[in-house]
Amino acid sequence: MDVAVSSTEQRFGGWLRCLSLCLLLFSTPCLAQPDASVNLADQRAKAVTQVVLGILSYARWPAEPAQLELCVIGPTEYTDDLLKGTTQSSGRPVHVTRLLANNPAIATACHAVYLGKLSTEERTYVFDILAGQAVLSISEEVSQCTVGSLFCLNVRDDQVAFEVNLDSVARSGVRIHPSVLQLSRRRVAQP
Amino acid sequence: MSLIKRSRNRRRLRSVLRRGHLSVALVAVVLASLSLTLLGILALKVYADHNLHLIARAINYTVEAAVVFDDKTAASEALAMIASTEAVAEAKIYNVEGELLAYWRRPESGFLSRVEMLLANGLLEQPISVPIEHQGKQVGAVIVSGHGANVLRFLLSGLFGVIVCTALSAWSALYLSRRLLNGITGPLHKLAEVAHAARSERAFNRRVPSAQIAEMDSLGNDFNALLDELESWQSHLKSENQALAHKASHDSLTNLPNRAYFAARLARTLRSTNPANDKVAVLFLDSDRFKNINDTYGHAAGDAVLVAVATRVRAQLREDDVVARFGGDEFAILLAPLYHVEDAQRIADKIIVSMQEPVELPGHINIVTSLSIGIAVYPEHGATPDLLLCAADAAMYQAKRLARGGQHLAESEYSPTPLLPGA
Repeated sequence: MDVAVSSTEQRFGGWLRCLSLCLLLFSTPCLAQPDASVNLADQRAKAVTQVVLGILSYARWPAEPAQLELCVIGPTEYTDDLLKGTTQSSGRPVHVTRLLANNPAIATACHAVYLGKLSTEERTYVFDILAGQAVLSISEEVSQCTVGSLFCLNVRDDQVAFEVNLDSVARSGVRIHPSVLQLSRRRVAQP
Repeated sequence: MSLIKRSRNRRRLRSVLRRGHLSVALVAVVLASLSLTLLGILALKVYADHNLHLIARAINYTVEAAVVFDDKTAASEALAMIASTEAVAEAKIYNVEGELLAYWRRPESGFLSRVEMLLANGLLEQPISVPIEHQGKQVGAVIVSGHGANVLRFLLSGLFGVIVCTALSAWSALYLSRRLLNGITGPLHKLAEVAHAARSERAFNRRVPSAQIAEMDSLGNDFNALLDELESWQSHLKSENQALAHKASHDSLTNLPNRAYFAARLARTLRSTNPANDKVAVLFLDSDRFKNINDTYGHAAGDAVLVAVATRVRAQLREDDVVARFGGDEFAILLAPLYHVEDAQRIADKIIVSMQEPVELPGHINIVTSLSIGIAVYPEHGATPDLLLCAADAAMYQAKRLARGGQHLAESEYSPTPLLPGA
């Protein structure tokens, strides 16, 4: 299941677009190339942040925490923006921490985990710990969805899509708002 | 000139009433339907506004997740799904930065949709904007404008209703006014007819029939009573006239025509008689002893004798013959048509014979009277009434001179000689 999120215009969209347009117009292609890639990475990071926060906003835990603990596990590509920490639109703060894959505190200290590139053993260990826990898991890689992660991101050039593993969602005990599931169903029905 | 013009401008009662009924009905229907339509439009506007808000909210709920995830495709699909089934002309979804996420517009289908748009823009407060909120914070906005198909349909059906109601009420107004009119103008028409007949033909025997409306009926009754009076007055006048005419041309004692009547009748008879084929006889009669009877027995006896003579003479004549009393004891007879002179002489003889029977006077006195008769025949003895009368008169004196109680035929053409006074 994919949910596309456009990354072209975000919080700084207005002047950013202006700037990139100016750069595109007034710089040579070879000069423009590294700038463009830097901007693109930045945009992707922001898009990933938006999607992750969006998923968190549609999730309900059995016991609603006053502060949401998001743990980033393993090496990640697009969490630069996310790691700064943020606040949900409901006003609840989201505390982001990096944890190692073999840290047993994952099951207790985190309400949600963001999984980066993990080895098979690490991944198995993490999902073993998380089994039966009300923890929302988001993988950065698409392939992870088949293994046990609730959400998997599919970061592309122009948008960040995501898929949902409904079985994992059902097992985890975290309730996901039907709107998100509906978006997923739409994507499945229209591959 | 002005009178003719005024009478031309004058309208008939029927058209006045009908126009009045029609205008009342039309004004009532138009006012009622206008106010109903206005109220309906007001109510419709309230409901349409509310409906538009509901649609906007439905779109809002459906696209909320798509806006949160900034998913243009999902937003467009959700928007199209709702907007295409609702009365939406145009819908836009913006995210919080003001970027257009999804846009939907009803395909233009010619003139009607343009009319609907104009109507909706004029009537509704649109486009309306509804914020999309997620977790109490605005994440975007839905902007919706509706199309006026429903309003247009309502207005058209309202217009149709007004037209149908107007036609119906006009018809019923005309129908009712015709019924009413028959009650009013029917009796009036009859009344006018009878009045006209009474005025132009003197037909006082006609009467106005009774009417269902009380005022009309009493008017008709009064008119009938007036006609009754007129009729009796008229018949009284007529009989009076007849009596006067009879009196003027008849003798009151014997009830025989008088001299004037006889002269007129004689002149008319002579005018219509062809002298070559037909004859007319004039007989002049005079009682021989009338003065004596008068002097001896009194005037009452004289009158009785005169009445008896008149009755007996009359009895000897045909229906069409005329016997007149000229005054005193003089009588004249007109025999027309006459075929032979001898017929006149025979009638004269019969009259003389009828006098031989005694006349009974009051007081059981019987007396016998006699008549002397002079006969003149047209055209032998005179061509004009005067000449004929003179000839008959002369012949009567001749008869009297020869033998009282006889008759004498005038001799040849009468030569006018001064008339002697009656015997």
